[in-house]
Amino acid sequence: MAKTDNGIRIFQGLLILGNVVIGMCGIALTAECIFFVSDPYGLYPLLEATENDDIYAAAWIGIFVGFALLALSILGIVGVMKSNKTLLLVYIILMLITYAFEMASCITAATHRDFLTPNLFLKQMLERYMKAETDNNNDKWMTEGVTNTWNKLMLENQCCGVQGPLDWQEYTSAFRETYNDADYPWPHNCCVMDARGAPVNLDGCKLGVPGFYNSNGCYDAISGPLNRQAWGVAWFGFAILCWTFCVLLGTMFYWSRIEY
Amino acid sequence: HSALSTGTMHPLLLLLLATAHGLVTVNYTPELASSELGGLVTARTFVLQQPRCVFEDPKYSTAKIWLVVATAKGKEDFNNTVEPGSPEWAFQRFPANASAYLTLGAAMFHYPCPVPTGEITVLRVGSETACADDVAVPTCNGPLPGPGPYWVKFLALNGSEPVADTEWFGPIKLKTARQLPSGPEAGGGRSGAMIAITSILSILLALLLATLLAALCGSELCGSGSFKPDSASIRRYTTHHVYDQPAARL
Repeated sequence: MAKTDNGIRIFQGLLILGNVVIGMCGIALTAECIFFVSDPYGLYPLLEATENDDIYAAAWIGIFVGFALLALSILGIVGVMKSNKTLLLVYIILMLITYAFEMASCITAATHRDFLTPNLFLKQMLERYMKAETDNNNDKWMTEGVTNTWNKLMLENQCCGVQGPLDWQEYTSAFRETYNDADYPWPHNCCVMDARGAPVNLDGCKLGVPGFYNSNGCYDAISGPLNRQAWGVAWFGFAILCWTFCVLLGTMFYWSRIEY
Repeated sequence: HSALSTGTMHPLLLLLLATAHGLVTVNYTPELASSELGGLVTARTFVLQQPRCVFEDPKYSTAKIWLVVATAKGKEDFNNTVEPGSPEWAFQRFPANASAYLTLGAAMFHYPCPVPTGEITVLRVGSETACADDVAVPTCNGPLPGPGPYWVKFLALNGSEPVADTEWFGPIKLKTARQLPSGPEAGGGRSGAMIAITSILSILLALLLATLLAALCGSELCGSGSFKPDSASIRRYTTHHVYDQPAARL
């Protein structure tokens, strides 16, 4: 029996190694999702206003799934070492539940990332930026969020509008209803600012002289971080699930071979 | 210049009238400024090149150069004996009660020739919003009231006597903002990655559930649930064995 004992030992070793990797990936997933939920680029208000903020929901699920994976991997290691059928059955069932949640998170992140098109942000910007009259508290909250986020975006990234400052010229907007075209062909945050936060040359900015206004659009500054978030959650989760699949298959095989 | 209008008498008559007033039409057409400017034409403003090196004759050195903005009808009706600052040609009455108005009056020394390199020499028509409703400022350079089209020319006046003008330039059409077309935003195309993730993960989950059911049914929970003495079965070392021990061991 020495040969099969060795075989069993090796199999146990592989399962333990698989669970160790799952545990570490769980920690990594939790850390990654905490980073995304903390919204370092301040883009959450834009998504909240579009009511399409499910990539944040996917990141929240990822945090808890990461913890669950860590805890379950420890349970799995203990169960394999003791060859305890009950422990391993509990492990398998809980892992399947966690698997289902993580699958939901990945699919949500991938699906909602497909909704993030330039048109979506353009519509939000035109409808909400500097909107003067708000209907109710919720509307007011979203409008303030969108306005402050856009102001910050345009200042920090030296950009204007979604595709360019001509967005304000080509389409009707809430901004245009409050600010007349002659004084504000585009918002003043599109002007190149000096150190004190005032436009370097306001007339040059209104004329559209290159160098005195930001002529590029902000879409890259928005879609870059959001895409990284969505793909980070979706693909890393997918990789973890593929690995977990193999480990679970092995564990179920091991479980079915345990004899009382 | 229209080429041959109805009858050759018409242009001859105009020329006679012009020379009778002492008005010279300079060979210059106003033009829009460089297309590098982002705000060249907006919904209420447009930007023209300054008339530098246009009224070069020394007899214009004391004249004041005015910009005439007119509708298509105003262009036809405009006679050059105008008094800038008179209510008849006030900006505030344009275009309902006046088919043209004068604005941006500047003395000749504001347009020195030649143009120093690197300077942007433009005139932004429609930039003054403060005086747009103020009838006390009839020569206000206020925002244009609609998308146009508009015609412009420069007119040099000595007091209220016209001495020179340029050709008409136009039609200048301003921008009209439109509603954002509500295109396909929801479900903007399923990407291949999302389809791959969904399908592969679903298949894997299904396989896992199937394997779990097979494992459960293969053991004591359903069906015969027989123990199969296998050479690769795993023994728990701390508990008793299934198989009978030889009696000698006890």
